[in-house]
Amino acid sequence: MTSPYETLGVSRDATLKDIQSAYRKLAKKLHPDLNPGDKGAEDRFKAVSAAYALLSDEEKRGKYDRGEIDETGAETAPRHYYREYASSGDTAGRYENAHGFSDFADADDIFSSFFSRRSGGQQQRRRGRDQHFSMEIGFLDAANGTKTEISLPGGGPALELTIPPGTRDGQTLRLRGKGEPGFNGAPAGDALIDIRVRPHPLFTADGDDVRYEVPISLSEAVLGGKIRVPTIDGAVNVTIPPHSNTGKTLRLKGKGLHKPGGGHGDAYVSLKIVLPQTPDPALSAFVESWAAGKTEDPRKGMGGHA
Amino acid sequence: MNDREFCEHLDIEAKVLRIWVEQRWLMPREAEAGWLFEEADLARARLIQDLTGPMGVNDNGVDVAMRLLDQIHGLRSRLAELMDAIRSQEPEVQRLILSRVEGE
Repeated sequence: MTSPYETLGVSRDATLKDIQSAYRKLAKKLHPDLNPGDKGAEDRFKAVSAAYALLSDEEKRGKYDRGEIDETGAETAPRHYYREYASSGDTAGRYENAHGFSDFADADDIFSSFFSRRSGGQQQRRRGRDQHFSMEIGFLDAANGTKTEISLPGGGPALELTIPPGTRDGQTLRLRGKGEPGFNGAPAGDALIDIRVRPHPLFTADGDDVRYEVPISLSEAVLGGKIRVPTIDGAVNVTIPPHSNTGKTLRLKGKGLHKPGGGHGDAYVSLKIVLPQTPDPALSAFVESWAAGKTEDPRKGMGGHA
Repeated sequence: MNDREFCEHLDIEAKVLRIWVEQRWLMPREAEAGWLFEEADLARARLIQDLTGPMGVNDNGVDVAMRLLDQIHGLRSRLAELMDAIRSQEPEVQRLILSRVEGE
């Protein structure tokens, strides 16, 4: 950015007359109508005119000289000098140097620590960096929570990591102060552990809910009854109504995952009818004699594609 | 602000900023993405510009000036703390301290 004095080619103490005469000379040379087609001349003419408008106005020139406005006439923000920041806590910690004053008080003087107290000086107080790790845990450990010992790469003692109940795949657990050490007494960073939850053969998480399939016998399906059903925190008794088909889904309220804000999701148990392991002659004989079984068509409604 | 914005504010080249930081005239915070500067660093950099520019101080001179300045600010803050402590004493104690420092 060029100062209006430089633009007009006059010194800072130029009189109004000097300024007018400099402007006239340049204006004659640069006026766009006298330089058709020269884009550069137009820009310079504009700059010269703006500089003249500023410097020919005594009040504006004074403001410019005091730095209150810039060469475009826009007000400039008042400059904040370093001394305004130097005594603030944050800056003081970084730049301030009090190493030179320990001679104000001998070591056995009660003021010695006051004068020799470390401040920022040449070495910055800086919090240590966070370190990222990842870890795989079982589905049930994640669902119910557990405590586990981990040792972070790079050595150091084993750390106890608390997996809170309802920990989700992809969640990050924070071990405060277990990252890289800080500098000059600043706190250490945190260890951030990305949790991967291993899939479970039975349970599948679906948001806060858990979905899974539970086999039932033919008699349980036809007659209903009480069955033991596993959940993520132990088996429970569930009553299934008579005539429960494969695919019927029972909701076990509150048997899902811990929600982050409190409470639990639900478990959705999908029933699946399973025939006896080995063929049963009595069952075969009954079905043979069961007339309705032969007329029933479970595939009707599937059109001609069945 | 990051180092690019900082350089733009001051109209300096990245090379110059690197030297200032290497000399520890500026001590930006170090983030993952690089240096982070605050308003205080900007004000400090303008002081360095004033020293090297209009005042004609060379690099060695800036080094001495900044070190002394940092000591002065260290001293000022100790003195301010000491004054706060004295002002919190009984008026009689304050008078006694005053009479001692005035050499009575």
